[in-house]
Amino acid sequence: MSAAISSGPTTGRAPAILMSLFFAVIVLGPVAWALATSFKTEVEAVAVPPTLWPNKATLENYFKVFRDQSFARDFFNSVIYAVGAVVLALLVGIPAGYAAARFTFKGKRALMLVILATSMVPGVALLVPTYYLLDTVGLLNSGIVVTIILSARIIPQTVWFIANFVEAVPVEIEESAFMDGANRFEIIWNLILPLIRPGIAAVATIGIVTTWNDYITVAVFAPDVAKRTLQVALVNQVFDAVGISWSYMMAFVVIASMPVILMFGLVQKWFISGLTAGAVKG
Amino acid sequence: MSASHTQTVVAGSEASVLADTPATRNPAHLSWAPFLWFAPAILILFLVTLYPTVFVGWLSFQKTRYYDLTGFVGLTNYVEVFSSPAFWNTVYVSLVYVAGSLAGAVVLGMAAALVLNNAGPTGTVLRVLILFPWTLSMSVVGSIWLWLLNPSFGPIPYLMQLTGIDPGLMLGDPGLALPLIIVVTAWWSFPYVMVMATAAMQSIPKELYEAVEIDGGGPLVKFRYVTLTHILPTLGSTALTLSIMYLTLMTLIIVMTGGGPLGSTTTLSFEAFRGTVQAVNIGPTAVVSIVVLLINVGLGVVYTRLTGRVTG
Repeated sequence: MSAAISSGPTTGRAPAILMSLFFAVIVLGPVAWALATSFKTEVEAVAVPPTLWPNKATLENYFKVFRDQSFARDFFNSVIYAVGAVVLALLVGIPAGYAAARFTFKGKRALMLVILATSMVPGVALLVPTYYLLDTVGLLNSGIVVTIILSARIIPQTVWFIANFVEAVPVEIEESAFMDGANRFEIIWNLILPLIRPGIAAVATIGIVTTWNDYITVAVFAPDVAKRTLQVALVNQVFDAVGISWSYMMAFVVIASMPVILMFGLVQKWFISGLTAGAVKG
Repeated sequence: MSASHTQTVVAGSEASVLADTPATRNPAHLSWAPFLWFAPAILILFLVTLYPTVFVGWLSFQKTRYYDLTGFVGLTNYVEVFSSPAFWNTVYVSLVYVAGSLAGAVVLGMAAALVLNNAGPTGTVLRVLILFPWTLSMSVVGSIWLWLLNPSFGPIPYLMQLTGIDPGLMLGDPGLALPLIIVVTAWWSFPYVMVMATAAMQSIPKELYEAVEIDGGGPLVKFRYVTLTHILPTLGSTALTLSIMYLTLMTLIIVMTGGGPLGSTTTLSFEAFRGTVQAVNIGPTAVVSIVVLLINVGLGVVYTRLTGRVTG
């Protein structure tokens, strides 16, 4: 460990590189195994001894997933809920975040603390009351309600992040635009939003990943098959223990993760900056 | 919620927004206009979060049959829950689960951060690859590991057999299910610790290490008195974020064991979920939900205090 502990570039890197590769194998090995299984035939997937890489690679499992009657609907629901929730969070989060950064008024501190407090209430504690309330007013199985609930989970962080981003923009820029006769909405739209675009991208990326990956909210509040997402469809396969096909399921896993994998690949910098924001002061 | 990766990260820079900075342009005056800017966000949070939070408290005082309320019963539900051995078992399972996962994730995450920080460009590339599973959903992670651990066809039981260990029932074994779920949780979440620890390490001034070198300190001294001292606050807040996440995590357990075998993986959160969907008697489920809520808010407040100090 001695090479790893010091941080000077003087020590040899070879042991550290070897150990880094070890971590990469631990993390990526299981994922690679799932990927390999998805290209195997159903028979080869359960062969003993298991094959490391398919003898005869096939895309049949992927075709089967795409051919499935409910796939398009599940996929569409996943996209609508995730995009809808993030758009809604930004629509309500940008005005609130801007006001938090730029206005001084009595009660602002209380408002921001209430928003912070809501982020501490775990979704699991609200399953029973929310189910009861939705059932009472007949709003179970509503796509719009699910979208709003998912949105509420990311609104607190959206407001707080945007407030910090806006605060980092010098107020003098706004003042000179005011002098030139621009109103508040023009300033936000033409001046502030373009300036804080990287921040908004980070918030949106994390929001999409969070809502796309949700299982509980959709499974509990919209149990109807027509309203389910890819995540719910995947878990339902696990419950269907008799008909389980591992190669099909791993193909499903890959497809259900593809959007977040692509997003992560494209914007991992924003993703990481979003994760570490506020955690470390440089 | 399994996916709320950043649930509490938002609190990080509380001090700056709450303070009256010179950047604020309008003089303080009581006006309804600023509230309009907050109204849509507050409305949604009220309907989805605040009102149900109050309502679960009210539910916990009701006598219930399925989802029907049949009258006020005071503390009966609380007495029923707190005097049941099954409840205390879920508390115990939750504690073991959170502590075990946390220990695994922090140790692995710290080790990975230290190692990758010293691996030069290779480390930079691998760091991104290693963070990758963090983006996967709990249903996906659960499905993959269910396959890897499958006693009949999975590769891990196969490797165990090759080395002469009887894999037995794996997740079907009441003594093994919880440890296995802890391993999977640590596997999924240690990259998060790694990223946080790395960010903190990279903010340490190089001069501090040089100073130790001048004083003749070795690598262990550097680690103990420079690295560890500097990243401890970040590690603390990361550990709290993870504790909150683990405590509320249900999907992995739903997929991998369904709370079994014999209740050996039934955590408080899983119990709240099970009570909601089975809907036999929601009064006691409301009490369990409140317990989860209070622990979470408690940890959240500690987190806010801690990060407030870090950034302050």
